[in-house]
Formats: sequence, structure tokens, C-alpha cells
Amino acid sequence: MNLLPKKENAPTSHVEMLYQAYQRKERVFRMNVGISWGILLLFLVFLFSGQEWTLAGIPFKTIKVDSEFIRANMVFIAGGIGETIKISILSIILAILLALFAALGRLSTFPPFYALSTFYVSLIRGTPLYLQIFFFFLALPQLGIILPGLWAGVLALGLNYGAYMSETFRAGISSVGKGQREAAIALGMTNGQLMRRIVLPQALRFAIPPMGNDFIAMTKDSALVAATGFVHELMWRAVKVGRAQFHNLEALIMAAIFYWVMTLLLTAVQSRIEARLSKGDR
Amino acid sequence: MTPIVKLTNLKKYFGRLEVLKGIDLEVQPREVVCVIGRSGSGKSTMLRCINFLEEPSEGTIEIHGLTIPAGGKGKEHQQLVHEARLVTGMVFQEFNLFPHMSILENVMEGPVIVKGMDKAKAQEIAEMNLARVGMLFKKDEYPLRISGGQKQRVAIARALAMEPKVMLFDEPTSALDPELIGEVLEVMKGLAKEGTTMIVVTHEMGFAREVADRIVVMNEGELVEQGKPEDVLNHPQHKQTQALLDRYRTGKK
Repeated sequence: MNLLPKKENAPTSHVEMLYQAYQRKERVFRMNVGISWGILLLFLVFLFSGQEWTLAGIPFKTIKVDSEFIRANMVFIAGGIGETIKISILSIILAILLALFAALGRLSTFPPFYALSTFYVSLIRGTPLYLQIFFFFLALPQLGIILPGLWAGVLALGLNYGAYMSETFRAGISSVGKGQREAAIALGMTNGQLMRRIVLPQALRFAIPPMGNDFIAMTKDSALVAATGFVHELMWRAVKVGRAQFHNLEALIMAAIFYWVMTLLLTAVQSRIEARLSKGDR
Repeated sequence: MTPIVKLTNLKKYFGRLEVLKGIDLEVQPREVVCVIGRSGSGKSTMLRCINFLEEPSEGTIEIHGLTIPAGGKGKEHQQLVHEARLVTGMVFQEFNLFPHMSILENVMEGPVIVKGMDKAKAQEIAEMNLARVGMLFKKDEYPLRISGGQKQRVAIARALAMEPKVMLFDEPTSALDPELIGEVLEVMKGLAKEGTTMIVVTHEMGFAREVADRIVVMNEGELVEQGKPEDVLNHPQHKQTQALLDRYRTGKK
């Protein structure tokens, strides 16, 4: 055994010491944030612990939940996660396609295309998502189009998010400088080549972080599809068992936990992607 | 000798503002023409009209056997403009490299996408042109990781890879730190020696004096004077040229 202090562990220079102090400070900060999160989480759990006590003659109590019900219905409600993810993924794909066309239309100089894009965005952004979801269940059958519940929900969510995301895409496309276009034109590129090779790849990189946010928001908004009663995703299952067994609160708490965990995971994935993207920038 | 570029009565309006007031200019093959003038004199606009980055309002542009009247419309005109762009290479003040592509991909982009060349052949051409500007050693790097002077050299290689008949330079060193200007001018001197036809809008009087076959002076949208560098720079005929040279001498642009 070597009893001499290891050389590589010893601070080598003033700069090294300053850097280590900085790292220590960062670590301490992150640790304290972690501890605080833990305390907040404990408080939240305590809030639902069903305790009753009296302090200085004033009675206190926390919310009571039926843990037996939770245990019994956990699997049934969790069974909706797959459906929720399926709706979200299909909807985001549709939304991205629509957003791309709407953004291109918005930047187009061809009046009908421009009009179609602005009309679509205005109509969708001017009405509530909840209403739009019902619309697809109520109006389409009148045209003889009867979609399975899932697809009607996907159509409504995709159309809605597409309208909002078109703004993100438009900003992304506008963020590509004039110089980039001129360089491509000077090389002899056609408009299509310029878009496909130069503008869109750069616009997408710009648009990916806000698209991640939209995707996370969409997994939660997919709960609205439950209102139609045809798609057996998380929210629908929670409402169904809650109502049937008079345990609405427990059922909703369970759904809330599942949604929260899902968004936590998605947020982690998103920050990974963002970190990788910004690395490419340097 | 037939000129490779010929501008006849070229006019350009931006709204009601007349930026070019009837320019006549001929450039011979293998000639190096430097265009000087105060900012706002229309020199960049004239250059950008040659490859139709600016659509001229009036006049005619002849380039490498193509005759393109201003204000043309329709498929035929677009085809002519496209061909004009294929025979010209342009280098911008701000480099405008494609940041999402490596240096090599930047230079291959034109041959592969515009000319439809197969990748192996395009890579060969790209590497040859990168070597020409001394940038082959950075071919796998991305534009954000190289210096301004290096970016501009890559931008020159990107234009050269299209094997243009005329190279257009729009103030190629104006966005560079002083210590990086030299390397870009060296590359341009090399091109001039190889016999490349070049039209260079510049503020670098030393470069113009040394490399140009002819200097063209512009002022307020007009071509006021042209001639051999030593004549124009030593014995300017026009008082605007004199004023311009005085400004350079006192270190102002």
C-alpha cells in the first residue's frame, strides 16, 4: 500500500483549485435542490395520508384515500398508458406534417396556399380543443365518415397541434438567414432544392426543442379524448372505474401519477436530445 | 476578343430609388476587374445583378454566350437565369457556408445537388478545390469550428467546385479581422495567376493595385472611371475617385 498522497489528486494549480471550488459549488447546489424536491414530495404524500390530529384545540386532517381501491385498480388504469402513448405519437406525427405545410403556406406567395394556411391556423387556434374533439365525433358521421374512436381523436389532436406548431416551424424557417438562401441560389439550386437541402434541415434543428414541449403537452391533452367515451386511454379508464366504484378521487390521483411519470421521462429524453443538438453546434 | 461578361445600360431601382443608373461594362476572359467605390455606390448591386441575385430593372446582361434582358418573365427567362448562375461562382462578404454540413459536404453540395454528379466524383472535385485553397486538412470539420479567413477560403472552394467561367467576389474580406485578410487575398491572387476571370468588389487597394488588370470606379450608381490600376490609383481623372482614394489614404472606408 502506498501511504504517500496520490499526486494526481493534489490540486496542481490556482486555476485547478478555482475550478474544483466551482464544481463543488455546483454539486452542493444540485444536492440541495434534490433534498428540497424530496421534502416537497413528502409533503404531497402527507397531504394524502388521511391523518387526523388536534393542535391547540384546532382539528386538522389530510385527504383520505382508499389504498385498497388503488391496489385493486392499478393494473386496469395503467392499461391505458399504451393507448395514451399511441394517440400521442400518432397525433404528433400528423401535427408535424400539417405544421410543415401550414408553415410553408404561410411563407408562400401563392394566394390560395397562403389563404388555406392562415384560414386553418386561425380556425383551429380560435376554438377550444375540447370542442374540436367532439366535433370530429359528431360532424364526421353526418358526412358518412365514421372513424374508429382512436383515429378521430388523433385527427382532432393532430389538427390542433399542427396549427400551433406551424408557428414554431415558421419561426424556424425564418431563422435561416438570407445569406444561406443566396448562397444556395448562387450555386444554382432550385427553390425545392434550397428548401430541402438548406432551409429545412436548419429550421428543424431550431424547431426540435419547442416540438418536444408540444409533444409533452400533447400526451396530457390526449386525456380530453376520453370525453368522447370511445378511446380507452388513461383518463377514460380512471373516470370509468372511479365513477363505477365511487372512488373518483383515487382514480384521478392514480391517473395523475401516471401522467406525471410519463412527462418526467419525456422531459429527460428531451433534455438529452437538446444537449446532443447543442453539441453539434460547437 | 468577345467579352465573357457584358453589361449594357444596366439599371436597377429599389422602389423609387435608382441604385444603378445605366452601367456599361465589358469583362474579357482571364481578366481580373476590381470594382471600387464608396458604400452605397451600387457596386455590390451591380455584381449581384450579374447572377440575378438582384433582378435588374432595365438593360441587358450577356454572360458566356447567354443574352439575358432585364425584366424577363416565364420559364425561358428562368432557364437563362439558371444557366447564368451555373457559369458564375459567387463569394459573399459573410461567407454563408452551410452550418449543418461539414467543410467537405459544403463543397460537394453544388456538384451533387445542382449538377447531379455522383458522390465519389464530387468528392474528388471537392478535395481538389479544398487543396487549392489550402483547406483540405479541415475537410471533416464544421464551419463553426474554423476561423473567418478559413471560412472564406472554403467558400471560394465551394464556388470553384462548380467550375464557373467567372468568379464574383462581393467584398470578400470586409467581414474579416485584419490579421485574417491576408490568407484570403493570397488565395485570390493564386486564382488570378491561374487565369480565372474575376470581378472583385473590394476596399483592398493594395490587392487591387497588385492583382487587378483593370480598376472600375463607381459613384452614386454610375461608372465614373476605369483603367489600369496605376493610372486610376496614381492619376485619377474623376474628382470622386480622388475623394475616394483620399478617404482610403486617411484610413477610412
